[in-house]
Amino acid sequence: MSLVPNESLPGTRPSRALFANGALMAGVFYVVLYGVYAAYDPGALSLATFTDLMNNAAPLALAAAGQTIVVLTRGFDLSLAGTISIVSVFMAVFPMEDAGGGAASFAACLAIGGAIGAVSGLLVAFRGIQSIAATLGVMIVCQGIALLILNAPGGAVAEWVSYEMTDVVFGFAPASGLVVLAFALAWLLLRKTDLGLSLYAIGADEGAAGLSGVPVARRRFWAYVLAGACYGAAGFMLSAQTATGDPNAGMPFLLLSFASVALGGTSLTGGQGGVVGSLIGACVLMLMQKVLFAAGVSSFYIGASQGALLILAILFGRLVSRAASSGDAK
Amino acid sequence: MTVEATLEAPTDTRRAARFSGEALTAMGLFALSAGMVAASPLISPALGSWSQIYTILLLVSFLLVISFGQGLVILTGGLDLSVGSVMMLGGVLTTTWIGGDSATFWGVMPVVLAFGAGIGALNGIGVAMVGIPPFIMTMGVGIVTASLALGYTGGTTLGAAPPPLLLLMKGDILGAPSVIVFVLLFCLVAWTLQSRTTFGRKVYAIGSSRRAARIAGVPIVSTTILVYATSGLCATLSGAMLVGYSNGATLRMGDPYLLPSIAAVVVGGSSILGGSGNFVNTICGALFLATLESLIAASGLGQGWRTILSGLIIVGALLVQSGWISGVFASVARRVRGAGG
Amino acid sequence: MKFGKLTAASFGLALGLTGLLGAASAQDAPQKKYKIYLSLSYSGNNWMSETANIIKALAKTPPYDKMVELKEVISGTDPQAQIAAYESMIDAKADGVISFPISPTALNRVVKRGCDRGVKFFMYDSTVTERCAYNVSYISAGFGENTAQELVNSLGGKGKIFMVRGVPGTSVDKRHYEGAMHIFSKYPGIKVVSEYYGYWDDRIAQQETAKALAAHPDVDGIWSELGEAGTLNAVVDRGGKLMPIVGENMNGFRQGFLNEDYKARGLKGVSSGSPPATAGYAFKLMMEILTGKRDLEPVNIEYPLPWARSDEMKPCQGEAIADGCNVFDAKLVPQGFSTVIYDPALLPEINLQSALTGEPVPGMTIQPLPKEIVKAANEPGINCNRCDPPADLYKLTTATATVQP
Repeated sequence: MSLVPNESLPGTRPSRALFANGALMAGVFYVVLYGVYAAYDPGALSLATFTDLMNNAAPLALAAAGQTIVVLTRGFDLSLAGTISIVSVFMAVFPMEDAGGGAASFAACLAIGGAIGAVSGLLVAFRGIQSIAATLGVMIVCQGIALLILNAPGGAVAEWVSYEMTDVVFGFAPASGLVVLAFALAWLLLRKTDLGLSLYAIGADEGAAGLSGVPVARRRFWAYVLAGACYGAAGFMLSAQTATGDPNAGMPFLLLSFASVALGGTSLTGGQGGVVGSLIGACVLMLMQKVLFAAGVSSFYIGASQGALLILAILFGRLVSRAASSGDAK
Repeated sequence: MTVEATLEAPTDTRRAARFSGEALTAMGLFALSAGMVAASPLISPALGSWSQIYTILLLVSFLLVISFGQGLVILTGGLDLSVGSVMMLGGVLTTTWIGGDSATFWGVMPVVLAFGAGIGALNGIGVAMVGIPPFIMTMGVGIVTASLALGYTGGTTLGAAPPPLLLLMKGDILGAPSVIVFVLLFCLVAWTLQSRTTFGRKVYAIGSSRRAARIAGVPIVSTTILVYATSGLCATLSGAMLVGYSNGATLRMGDPYLLPSIAAVVVGGSSILGGSGNFVNTICGALFLATLESLIAASGLGQGWRTILSGLIIVGALLVQSGWISGVFASVARRVRGAGG
Repeated sequence: MKFGKLTAASFGLALGLTGLLGAASAQDAPQKKYKIYLSLSYSGNNWMSETANIIKALAKTPPYDKMVELKEVISGTDPQAQIAAYESMIDAKADGVISFPISPTALNRVVKRGCDRGVKFFMYDSTVTERCAYNVSYISAGFGENTAQELVNSLGGKGKIFMVRGVPGTSVDKRHYEGAMHIFSKYPGIKVVSEYYGYWDDRIAQQETAKALAAHPDVDGIWSELGEAGTLNAVVDRGGKLMPIVGENMNGFRQGFLNEDYKARGLKGVSSGSPPATAGYAFKLMMEILTGKRDLEPVNIEYPLPWARSDEMKPCQGEAIADGCNVFDAKLVPQGFSTVIYDPALLPEINLQSALTGEPVPGMTIQPLPKEIVKAANEPGINCNRCDPPADLYKLTTATATVQP
């Protein structure tokens, strides 16, 4: 309400330009950072290292993708921590072998995430509860359920999932990277649909969206369901990487998901941005760890560098987009 | 002067419409908390006594102080994610700069508090002057603060609690536990600041509509910086209190307070988007959460069920609250329509 | 007094001699720099930074000061961050990784990959279930069952007790708890009236204990995982009678056992649990293997369970650790400082300063470890996967039952 700088109508050119800028900026930042990494460590350019990076980034990227959908409607979704925890223990307690099992697991993860998202969506969209409060409650409940399913880290994820999903396919592409790419494509398709457009409309100005005929409550509900499905996928990719379950697995993703969204150029006050930027933003965050390690930053101050880089990246993105938009104006 | 005059009219009508909903929520949460305490002997016969109430009030004191600052920030439409780290810094500086020495306490404690307020002000500068989203600015500052504290202490926080703080958290004043007297005073001052001063009105104005506030001549930048500085100050104070309670500091002592500080504000019924809220509501939200926790702790359930139960009760309270608020809106709308017809 | 000094002197002399020998043999070998990485969880609690400091001090103690290039990485509480850190270390061609693992299972894959590329992984205190890593830990020594038995003994086999657990959903907490419950469930007179989580943090343990005391003021004894200094604070704050408490090795807790007032009010118990010294022992083992002084395939190694009853507390004079003293002055260390940083046989190179700052003890050299190691029993989910625990997993090793069920 108070922090939206301009009140441009939804779906008009400026917001689209900004979206492109956000993702582009994050992409440029990623490439530059990768260059720095490669300068310190020539091994960075190998396929194996890139695969490691993608495997590491995929869970956060998908979680951030879900978060973006909610943030676009001017919401905050804390339930992702609970959803990822539940999916993590689910994958380890009920492993399903082979490709068929893997596909079934994946579908189940999406369904679990979607169901949890539906609960959040009901509370937020139809009962009018503030998103951050409602999803906090949902997150706590989900953490409890995860503890009931598995009371300590353990179990074993199906080998097919943990090997194939972290491997290289077709000789050149990390499987995890393809999954992330698939979600990016799905988003680009979704963005063109009524649902996708109305997400932006609701975030930009809920009242106006309602007046122009957008079924606000129903569309917002679906935003949470879709977001939940993304968290489910994030949990799936996490279990592929860790090969076991952990009832606390989701907690580290909570703040990082917001950082990824912001790095990707999505406005945390809704209405502007997009999933692609957040996917790249998550990759930037994971790459940062590697670069700081390669640069030999003293461990006590790695946190300081991460925090400062985060702020600088956002600042940089804003400056560039501001410069670009003032250039447009001329 | 002019600010006051121009702001008076719009806020007054809004407040009138909002008041009943907010007050109802606060009273409801308070009644719910009191009811839980009254019903708690069912769980364990020793509960429901003064000692349980004292324990709840003592443990909620840290949360109350920290969530006043958080509430102010939320009121402006922001969010302060650095409170956990700043609280930790307050604790660490209290033990390392003052330690178990009463003599230096009165001289150095204000410096520690000013340091925390300074970090808060840094947040405010980033948000108001540079235009960085509050979420990112405060998260980044929080991470940096935690990391610098780690580097500064080398991981081990030496030093004990200053005796005046021990006295504050464990002593008595005129027969009453001094911490409870202190918290009551704090709440009174905080409420006055938020609801009865020009500063408070400016904060509401910024949260309701930045544009309107700017037109009305509210100094947005300086007010925002002051708000974040207050939040830093509160977090630091809370950290110092925790040092007094537990006689020492660690580098992770603030972490458990970040989410509850937001939860207390939001469960109390303030809007996360800013512009509405009242510190009395936050107090009731914090009391509700603390009572709930202490009851669930006594329940004898396993951790999984305990967690589920506390989540469900929070959701339940929110549901009831949303019903109230929509009911109130409906009645207001009816009245407006009635007046129009 | 005199005798004590004499033994200390002769002990010191013996140490010096062996140190000289050690240094001499090290100089014979060609000087190779070993690239060692230290990977931590969150260096925010006393325990974790003590272990890091001990390892840093050892790496600067001759002859390792010229042989070891040590780099430290902190990964927080996120297993994924530690996976990324391990990957970087493997890529940087580490000789060895010494680490506090954040998860017993999530790191297995990357650890295996590192092993295949010739990196030695040494886990201290916490463990991984991957077979190619060396686990050095006290966990299998049975903190839970031994302390529980001690509490039962001091309660005469009956009473209401609290159980202060650690972080929910972790394997270490589960193992401690199950060990303790194995004992408590044998005694029908023992009633667990409240069970709560202190998150291995003295502040949280204190607040949770205060809540539990409001509901059960008549508690007779407390079994506490790390955070016991806070547990004790809460009971002391309440005033009135104290009770037997068994806990870990925080200095504030051990100080409590020296307090005459507390003792008169009924405080007694035992201080046991996770020793930071494990980290130093693990590091020395790793170096002996890397330098070829010891031939040892990856194995689970048990570090002895620290055990100090309340009547065995002996304050240290200043910073010196001598004559079996086991509590430090409250002004020198925080209450949450874990006291077990030294061992006359396994880790004589460390003093209080080195555990606080990571600086080596002047004039000290690395002492060789005893030849024998103690193999740890199978603990499914902790140090092995899909394995069978021994039938007597929870047998008492340190405490003895003086009260029969």
